[in-house]
Amino acid sequence: MEQQLDFLVDKVVAELQKKLSELGEKAPAQAVEQAVEKVVEASMQPGAQPSVEVNGAAAFQSDVSEEPERTAQIPNPQWKEGLDELLTSTPARIGVWRTGVRPLTKTMLQLRRDHAAAVDAVYGEVRQEVLDQFSLFTVETQYDNTENYLKRPDMGRILTDEGVRLLQERCQKKPQVQIVVSDGLSASAVDANLKDVLPSLLDSLKSYGLSCGTPFFVKGGRVASMDHIGEVLEPEVLVMLIGERPGLVTAHSMSAYMCYRPRKGMVESERTVISNIHRQGTSPVEAGAHIGTILSKMLEQKASGVKLVL
Amino acid sequence: MDEQWIQSVGIDVGTSTTKMIVSRLRLGRMSSTFSLPRYQIVERQLLYASEVHSTPLIGFDEIDAEGIGAILQEEYRKAQISLSSIKSGAVIITGETASKKNAQHIVHLLAERSGDFVVATAGADLEGVLAGKGAGAEKRSQTIQGTIVNVDIGGGTANAAYFQRGRAIATVTFHVGGRLIRLDQQDMVTYVSPNIQAWLSAKGLRITVGQRISLAEISEVARQMACSMLDYLTGKERQISGLLVVGPQLRGDFPVEELTVSGGVGKLMEGAPVRSMADVSRYGDFGPLLGYVLQQEREKGTYAVNWLDPEQTVRATVIGAGMQSTEISGSTVHIKPELLPIKNIPILKLELTQEQLANPAQLHQEVAAIYQLGERLFDKTTGIPFALAISGIGYCSYALLQTISQELSDQYRHYFAESQTMVVICETDMAKALGQALALRCKGAPEIICIDQVRVEYGDYIDLGEPISGTIIPVVVKTLAFDEKA
Amino acid sequence: MNTKTTVLGQTYQFRDLKEIFAKANEDKSGDQLAGIAASDSRERVAAKQVLADLTLADIRNNPMLPPEEDEVSRVIEEGINEKIYNEIKNWSVAELREYILSHNAGENDIKRISRGLSSEMIAATAKLMSNLDLITAAAKIRNVTHCNTAIGQPGVLAARVQPNHPSDNVQGIKAALYEGLSYGIGDAVIGINPVIDTADSVKDILTMTKEVMNKWEIPTQNCVLAHVTTQMRAIRQGAPADLIFQSLAGSEKGNNAFGIDVKLLDEADELMRKEGTSYGPNFWYFETGQGSELSSEAHFGIDQVTMESRCYGLARKYNPFIVNTVVGFIGPEYLYDSRQVIRAGLEDHYMGKLHGLPMGCDVCYTNHMKVDQNDMDNLGILLSAAGVNFVIGVAMADDVMLNYQSTSFHDIAAFREVLGLRPAPAFEKWLEKMGIMENGKLTARAGDPTIFM
Repeated sequence: MEQQLDFLVDKVVAELQKKLSELGEKAPAQAVEQAVEKVVEASMQPGAQPSVEVNGAAAFQSDVSEEPERTAQIPNPQWKEGLDELLTSTPARIGVWRTGVRPLTKTMLQLRRDHAAAVDAVYGEVRQEVLDQFSLFTVETQYDNTENYLKRPDMGRILTDEGVRLLQERCQKKPQVQIVVSDGLSASAVDANLKDVLPSLLDSLKSYGLSCGTPFFVKGGRVASMDHIGEVLEPEVLVMLIGERPGLVTAHSMSAYMCYRPRKGMVESERTVISNIHRQGTSPVEAGAHIGTILSKMLEQKASGVKLVL
Repeated sequence: MDEQWIQSVGIDVGTSTTKMIVSRLRLGRMSSTFSLPRYQIVERQLLYASEVHSTPLIGFDEIDAEGIGAILQEEYRKAQISLSSIKSGAVIITGETASKKNAQHIVHLLAERSGDFVVATAGADLEGVLAGKGAGAEKRSQTIQGTIVNVDIGGGTANAAYFQRGRAIATVTFHVGGRLIRLDQQDMVTYVSPNIQAWLSAKGLRITVGQRISLAEISEVARQMACSMLDYLTGKERQISGLLVVGPQLRGDFPVEELTVSGGVGKLMEGAPVRSMADVSRYGDFGPLLGYVLQQEREKGTYAVNWLDPEQTVRATVIGAGMQSTEISGSTVHIKPELLPIKNIPILKLELTQEQLANPAQLHQEVAAIYQLGERLFDKTTGIPFALAISGIGYCSYALLQTISQELSDQYRHYFAESQTMVVICETDMAKALGQALALRCKGAPEIICIDQVRVEYGDYIDLGEPISGTIIPVVVKTLAFDEKA
Repeated sequence: MNTKTTVLGQTYQFRDLKEIFAKANEDKSGDQLAGIAASDSRERVAAKQVLADLTLADIRNNPMLPPEEDEVSRVIEEGINEKIYNEIKNWSVAELREYILSHNAGENDIKRISRGLSSEMIAATAKLMSNLDLITAAAKIRNVTHCNTAIGQPGVLAARVQPNHPSDNVQGIKAALYEGLSYGIGDAVIGINPVIDTADSVKDILTMTKEVMNKWEIPTQNCVLAHVTTQMRAIRQGAPADLIFQSLAGSEKGNNAFGIDVKLLDEADELMRKEGTSYGPNFWYFETGQGSELSSEAHFGIDQVTMESRCYGLARKYNPFIVNTVVGFIGPEYLYDSRQVIRAGLEDHYMGKLHGLPMGCDVCYTNHMKVDQNDMDNLGILLSAAGVNFVIGVAMADDVMLNYQSTSFHDIAAFREVLGLRPAPAFEKWLEKMGIMENGKLTARAGDPTIFM
């Protein structure tokens, strides 16, 4: 009996909610008018005045990057609803149709556009204001120029002498957690995600009561530059937020490489990685929060990579 | 950790029969080592199925709670399962409302005797869905383009669930069941459920307690009842057949491509032809006849629907309850393990639009409106008044996260100052970040439980189990109502 | 063994076979990164000149990586037919090149000779061949293999459909698979690169692909390209796998970096004999690619073409159904631009074919290489002309999981149409039955994935 009652109440609530959401557009239906009015009144009470503090004006400017259009082009599919189901199940470029055995012009241009974005990400530079927002200063590796960076990964693993001097001058030594940001193979990954990943990570460190050294930016960095930085600053754990090799679905994907007591000669299996951090992939804020958890476990277990139990 | 087993129990206390099963569910990692952890149930094994017991009754229509308890105790012993090892599952108490007057008593008793997690009756809608899953209709729907409906016919009610492309899209319950009309060995009608009187009158059928009834007469009642139910399910006619419906009527047209019949009556469809009154009344009710006339309809092919054999008949519901009721939340969550498990939390749903999210004043109002609704619907409690399910956020930036968490926490503390625990369920993978943001603001007052990637709707209740390996939360969503749209 | 020559008035003295082999290579960023490349064109020609005059016995008698130190070298040594080798051991590399290209040498003659050749000898001929030499030589050789169906016949261009998904969503994989099938792609294999390295996930994908194959009676084979040990676990749990996959390197140390050795491959081979679901006799799928040994510092100062050839020497032991060189996946530090990628693709295809292998090629590039889709069009056509057994089909060439570009379903349909090539015979029959293809041409129905729903 009780359940039947609950059930009815819920039905009414559901009804109300629907009507509420329609309010802006049209008058509420006659049958539930009164009830709706009550709810509306309630939400108009003085106590419910908006008192929202906006964190930074940029917050509500949607930094919309052009989302690729994904509509099926097949003129007469055998099952139209089925086609929608297929399209929502994968980001792959399907349902694109053809002219003869070649793709339609629009599809072809979309691919070229996305490739252009990916190439730009490789050859681009991180925007200074993104780094300034988190007071990151810049050190460089010995990469010299982009062509050399691509051909000589070894040079992206070593900081310049000037870089080492800057670290020694400006960074806290032997911090519990060292955060490093690097462009890697996608400068735009840093532009797109740092503002979401980094503060979420800092919140997480705060939640776990972990202390953080002086974060900075490495230009022309490879993942293994963590080892050189480890030698210089001797952090207990280090996390490097670095741009990934761009793909066409997104050119802005970021990875977090984490390591316990980084030093020269570390092998890949000693690093813990969270990859695919971007708008359509692993949520940047969720990744930031989770990285904090991983770092705290590394400190607890004094290990990283395959030896770390998550 | 790559995998872990949990034990789940299903109990189905019906009007005529009671059964239980124990299953084990394997949780496997379903994420790469380079992404956030994600676990899913990757395997379901039936460990033990009890025999089908007659439901012990006190008098005519009251379930004997102690009797049920005794049955279960014995079955647990036989299955060699300890209560403490049960981590999930569901109990279904079915049948006519009249039999449920001591439902509360049974629930408490079961909570004591069936393991810590397992509790609570589910409504007819969930029952229908679980039976549909147990009968294999959900799985089948993934392979066809149209809609499949499974109807689970027991002693007191028939629970139907419609599935399309792997999703339950609607449910409906009928006063159709084997024990709605009872007979003795002398062909004397001993009971006619009051719930079918209106329908009987509308159909011009006459059957009264004390009447001696012929095979032709009772066959006609059974046939009409079966056909009314099929009329309703297939949408052929819903005026008169609608009189058999328990609770809300279906709100949409669902062209049915395939049909399965499970439950005790589904099982009876497989039986020998019913040719005499002795055949009819062998269980003291007209169940065998109901099964037989359904089988005849299937063979006649009057209805433009493809009848299939269900994977389970009499145990469809209990199998669904034991093996299919549990889900797993996203594995990056914000919880306090000592606050779990929590049970029977009603869902309030906050559906946000991009416009509302982009406008702080609008967002503030939306949160206020939903909290005010919660305030009026639910009693003040120091516990958990409801779980807030948030959807529509899409991409969540850090700035937006801050705005949302501020609105949610500030206003929660305003409206539900006495509540010591706040439960939030996100649609997308953001529970850890949101939980962390809320916790940093609330500083323990209230405590925060925030999980994600569980689908809930208005009218659902939710149980959250004890975390497994720290962050894997078994979740049972108890769907009591259906939003009748695909 | 002569290691000295004079080119354009300058005398070059090479230290050893490794140096000659490395410097005789066409320009590759990987050899530069390893510090073993020729410093200029003149030195390159000098090395080629010295190499041309070496005998096959010189190469065998001066092992760059001795069999005592490396099991891949042992496998290659053990695979050599001594009788045939003795017939030709005094041939120079130049003579071998000319023999292979001559009209006197028919397909069977080349196949016989190849049994007496080591991987290093085959690599040596590649270094003396122009791109068109590589195409001409490879086009003479057809290596037909059979798993559930046969591919590799003359006039056939098969394709792997590669319906990868960024989170291994089975429905999403199915969606891209349907799209590929509707373009007539998938006769080589339905092959998925998984993100999730668990046996459960691998089993799910194998089961799904098998169900689709059974439902539509598709004459092909399925495979999930997880690590071989994960596939073995899945197979032991009852997963239906027609093919078993593994990436190979050209040295024992390189294979160790992949987490494999010959013993493990033998074990997997045994398992497939017992529990594989296909007809056979070929049930291996190998992938290789120039540069992987250098990336794991397992190249021993040997150039990447030679190391690649050694992969084929190892692959040959297992009579694979398909071998795929993933030519442009590894990145610009090994193959910098389209010129290098195209060269490597042709070299690999030729060397594999000469090993008797059913060679396919993932004609592909990553976004940090100086390559674009036009270059893939070029290499795809070149390889199709050279008689490649199969190429890779990805929806619009964009792999949403591995984040690189390969050849598209459209591209493969175009290769077939332009060069008059056909899908594998059994598969073409099936396409006709499904109404997707008629007389070797796609019908109006082709390109609609919902026909499989």
